[in-house]
Amino acid sequence: MNLFKRAWWRLWAHPGKTALLTGLFTVICTLVLSGFLIQSAAARAAESAKRSVGVVATMQLDLNALIASGGGSENDGAQPGVIGPGGDLRRSLVDKICASSAVARCNYTAESVGRPGDDRKLYQPVPPPAGQDAEGTDFLKADGVRELSEVSAFRNGDAKLTAGSGITKDSKADEVVIEERLAEANKLKVGDTFTMKEGNFPPPGEKRDDTDIPYKVIGIYKSGTADSGSYVPAMMDPANQIYLTTDGVSRLDGRKVAKDGGVVKQATFTLNDPEQLGQLKKDAKAAGADPEIFPLSVNDKQYKTLVGPIDKTAGFATVTVWLVAVAGTVILALIIASALRERRKELGILLSLGERKPRLLGQHLVEVVACAVIAVGLAAACSQFVSQAVGDRLLAGEVSSAKQDAADDGPRQDLSNPMGAGAPPEQTPEVEPIDSMDIRTGPADLAKVGATGLGIAALATLVPGARILRLNPRDILTKGD
Amino acid sequence: MTTPVLELTGLTRSYESGNRRRTVLKGVDHAFEAGRMYAIVGPSGSGKSTLLSLASGLDSPTAGTVRFRGEDIAELGLGRYRNRHAATVFQSLNLLTYMTAVQNITSAMEITGVKGPRRKRAVELLDLLGVERQDQHRRTLQLSGGQQQRVAIARALACEVDVLFADEPTGALDQETAAGIIEVFRKLAHDDGKCVIVVTHSREVANASDEVLQLKRGRLT
Repeated sequence: MNLFKRAWWRLWAHPGKTALLTGLFTVICTLVLSGFLIQSAAARAAESAKRSVGVVATMQLDLNALIASGGGSENDGAQPGVIGPGGDLRRSLVDKICASSAVARCNYTAESVGRPGDDRKLYQPVPPPAGQDAEGTDFLKADGVRELSEVSAFRNGDAKLTAGSGITKDSKADEVVIEERLAEANKLKVGDTFTMKEGNFPPPGEKRDDTDIPYKVIGIYKSGTADSGSYVPAMMDPANQIYLTTDGVSRLDGRKVAKDGGVVKQATFTLNDPEQLGQLKKDAKAAGADPEIFPLSVNDKQYKTLVGPIDKTAGFATVTVWLVAVAGTVILALIIASALRERRKELGILLSLGERKPRLLGQHLVEVVACAVIAVGLAAACSQFVSQAVGDRLLAGEVSSAKQDAADDGPRQDLSNPMGAGAPPEQTPEVEPIDSMDIRTGPADLAKVGATGLGIAALATLVPGARILRLNPRDILTKGD
Repeated sequence: MTTPVLELTGLTRSYESGNRRRTVLKGVDHAFEAGRMYAIVGPSGSGKSTLLSLASGLDSPTAGTVRFRGEDIAELGLGRYRNRHAATVFQSLNLLTYMTAVQNITSAMEITGVKGPRRKRAVELLDLLGVERQDQHRRTLQLSGGQQQRVAIARALACEVDVLFADEPTGALDQETAAGIIEVFRKLAHDDGKCVIVVTHSREVANASDEVLQLKRGRLT
């Protein structure tokens, strides 16, 4: 094809113009590719953040909604003020929702209290001051869970299993995990029996059951909260936090374990993606949950904190890509329009030889694309460094701004409560925003910048090149009389 | 009588300039035959270059027709006519300056679809027209005016067309080379059966032609 040869000869004969065009294209492609790389890095970081923290949706009873629906009065008619079965979040229902494709992990909890059995005692390093009655607080705090590893204190590393295993969905109703200080106080190890008595106060007129209920210690954990050195009511001491299955809580409360697994207080679902909340709600409704009475609320604070600055950086990169692409196209189009004016005579000569106008346009396109291809190669070589440097600087600015905003919002609430490891599972630990970018140049990025470069080349050539189609060789080549 | 290869009928060309209309060619009729060399002479402004532009398909007439082998070149397509049947040696040479002499010729041959060993043919033609071998591979911008003229003629000859137009082809050449080129044109007409039409002020060219057409104020006289 003669047009390719002509394009090559032309580029070779004008090294200065070729270098200028290639240089301009290199700048455009480098900036565009850097934008793409920052976007990719942000997307990877967001994906990784999703995997690491997920987004937690919590399901629990909305009492007002239950009362408004009239369900609150269905209390068997026996106990005024006691919520009837309409307010029970059944474990079987939660298990069905856990099977949703939107859910990465799930957990549920049931709360209760227990008293040590006859041969057991609470962990209480500092006795109550003289005259202070510990009645009403001298309990073990017993939380029923589906998966101990999903409890936030264990997920974020505040608490760690030191012996045995944790509670899982396959654990039995008579299994318990206790804190090591409580274990030491009772000289217990994994496999021993830990007895407890019912802790909740019975309804008026009834007597509290004092029967020892045996539990097998299957695991011992260490709480991250050390002794305070002063008196703490036993129930508030992290060492007295024990974990059972939800059936184990029912046992402790003296209730029969229903076939459907009984009632849980709340359920937490860690989503694969924040966007999948809609899917989870749909699946929850399909499983039989009333969305008014058991609404799903999302806590994506951790995710937002992690990816907020990097998302903003990616947003800036997107704007940059568009600006550079548009500005680059305009600048190149102007340069090419000017070059076409310079090359009118050449076009006239070729037209006088009978060369077809589309081929003339094709020659220009080939010249520009050849420069673009070299530029994409150069951009691929240096974008990694440019985007790393630019991305890190932009991200540092965004992180700093996010931290400043957080500081301006006032002091953060101290999420570490006296319960230590027993913090409710829906609470999320503080996280630091992602402050570094993992820039990697992949084939997809190169394909994107290649396509963008070629698109810019085509637009910048074809738009001003349209005037070639109107050229008349006589006007260009002959002087007229 | 031989069938004309090129036939001009009522060829008129006017130009608009503001409210003025200037007619440069006024109803020119003529038939050109293959195997003959024609010279078009006339004073400056008589319409010679305009006639050449219209006959070579570079421009369209305001009225009248140009027929190539009986077919109106407007219907044939001016681009196609220029590409397959007509070649022009311009007064201003019009070489592609970023190419060497050989590349100018091979490029034109490719565009006009000439088959065979193009490079060899280009070198032969340049040798014939007296362009030194070392100059054949230099960019045309580096060649003298005379050398460029020869390259422009070689390019037109290389295209193997039926009608060859030339606008003052010997203007920049010395007498000896000019004579050589006139001989090439004559051979092209008489030996190869081409129709050669030369616009010239040169008496030598006119004398060497088979027919001389005098153009005066847009009319053949």
